[in-house]
Amino acid sequence: MLFRYRGSEGMVAWAFHRISGIAIWLFVMLHVLDIYLAGGNPNVYNDILKFYASTPGRCMEVLLGAALLYHALNGLRIMAMDFWPRLTAYHKQIWYANWVVFVGAGLPGAFIIMRPALGL
Amino acid sequence: MALYSRSGRPRPQSGGFELAAWYFMRFSGVALCVLALTHFSLEHFLFDPSQEDSTWIFNQRWNSLFWRGFDWLLLMMVLLHAFLGMRTVTMDYLQGGRRTLALTSLYLVGVVLFAMGTIVVFVGMPAA
Amino acid sequence: MDVTLRILRCDPERDGAPHWETYKVAVDPMDRVLDLLIKVKAEQDGSLSFRRSCGHGICGSDAMLINNRNRLACRIRVDQLGKKISVAPLPGLPVVKDLIVEMSGFFGKYRSVRPYLINDQPEPERERRQSPEDRARFDDTTKCILCAACTASCPSFWARPEYVGPAAIVQAHRFIFDSRDEGAAERLEILSDEDGVWRCRTIFNCVEACPRGINITRAILEVSSAIVGRRG
Ligand code: SF4
Ligand code: FES
Repeated sequence: MLFRYRGSEGMVAWAFHRISGIAIWLFVMLHVLDIYLAGGNPNVYNDILKFYASTPGRCMEVLLGAALLYHALNGLRIMAMDFWPRLTAYHKQIWYANWVVFVGAGLPGAFIIMRPALGL
Repeated sequence: MALYSRSGRPRPQSGGFELAAWYFMRFSGVALCVLALTHFSLEHFLFDPSQEDSTWIFNQRWNSLFWRGFDWLLLMMVLLHAFLGMRTVTMDYLQGGRRTLALTSLYLVGVVLFAMGTIVVFVGMPAA
Repeated sequence: MDVTLRILRCDPERDGAPHWETYKVAVDPMDRVLDLLIKVKAEQDGSLSFRRSCGHGICGSDAMLINNRNRLACRIRVDQLGKKISVAPLPGLPVVKDLIVEMSGFFGKYRSVRPYLINDQPEPERERRQSPEDRARFDDTTKCILCAACTASCPSFWARPEYVGPAAIVQAHRFIFDSRDEGAAERLEILSDEDGVWRCRTIFNCVEACPRGINITRAILEVSSAIVGRRG
């Protein structure tokens, strides 16, 4: 039903929120482990770091940044409605405004992260 | 006061935990907008992963108590927010024994990560 | 004009396995889905079962999944849907037969929020008066016809049928914010457990589904704000 029901913006916003949240949770676990290694076993850590600095690693970071940014923006949207329930009448507009910020902040961000991989 | 919940069974005495969790998700969410986005910008925009080896972390990035404190606060918020969020997801899709098992392992992993993170942030030393 | 109507049928007296059946129906574009169902039942298969009563969006008995959205069959026309129409029972509720779903759980949750005026003051001589502003406070939620379109559109409810669901919260809202009522504290208590308002994830499927155009999510968030305000 989750995939068959034709929801609108609100349902997509929720699905993305969940997916990005789970993705960030996975990364947080990985990240605590690798930083722990930075203290405990620097050689292994520096190897992991090489992956982070490689092209696939950078693509992952762009995705991570996108998940963070989306989750933050949509989280603010939800909180705004929690505290001012009358904003629910504009939930779609707020969502589209989120995407404007997402693209506006995300594209330059992605460019900075990818620049070394592109040789610029 | 109502003694029965909707299904007719005795009301679970949740002790307001759901309300507390609801509050905390919002509070930590706002905090993370600042903490996590600052952290991400530092590591990826101001600096670059190619320079962030362990010597750099301990000698430059964490050369002040402020940045160690900042990252520890981030760690605390992110772990609580992420694990409470995963609790929500678990409680949506699992029931009964499987739910208990999943939640217990979730909390255990959360505690272990919290300990590991705290140790490295506060007593992590430059690699010899 | 001919339309292809697919109906998810289920007969517990045969094998109980839900299966799609396809019907070709000659219709007028201004016909409603309810007219098509009546036509199929009259002309093609008398065993087709569905609920309907008023035929005018008042009784709330014919909510179903039409082209993958919950709506009232009597409130949606062929020209709004196109030539391919699919009809299935409300999602997330147990099917009794064809398009008829078991509603007792739904009504049990409705009753659990004490959807009636609670006021232990001595009975007044005249009616209990209310200012227009106080009446406006809960106007939106008085419109509910208990059709279950909202509750059966909610992913939180699909995931966990114990969730009290949007319809019951709408009904609670109608009394919680009524100045003549004194049962607000009790209802907020009922709605503050694990299967109460906290299960709302602000998805808005309920708002899209409601045939009465109620801003359900707003009502739910007003109830959760009231719980936060009372205890927070
Ligand atoms: S709130 Fe709307 S969708 Fe839900 S039961 Fe009432 S009328 Fe139906
Ligand atoms: S038949 Fe009464 S609401 Fe549709």
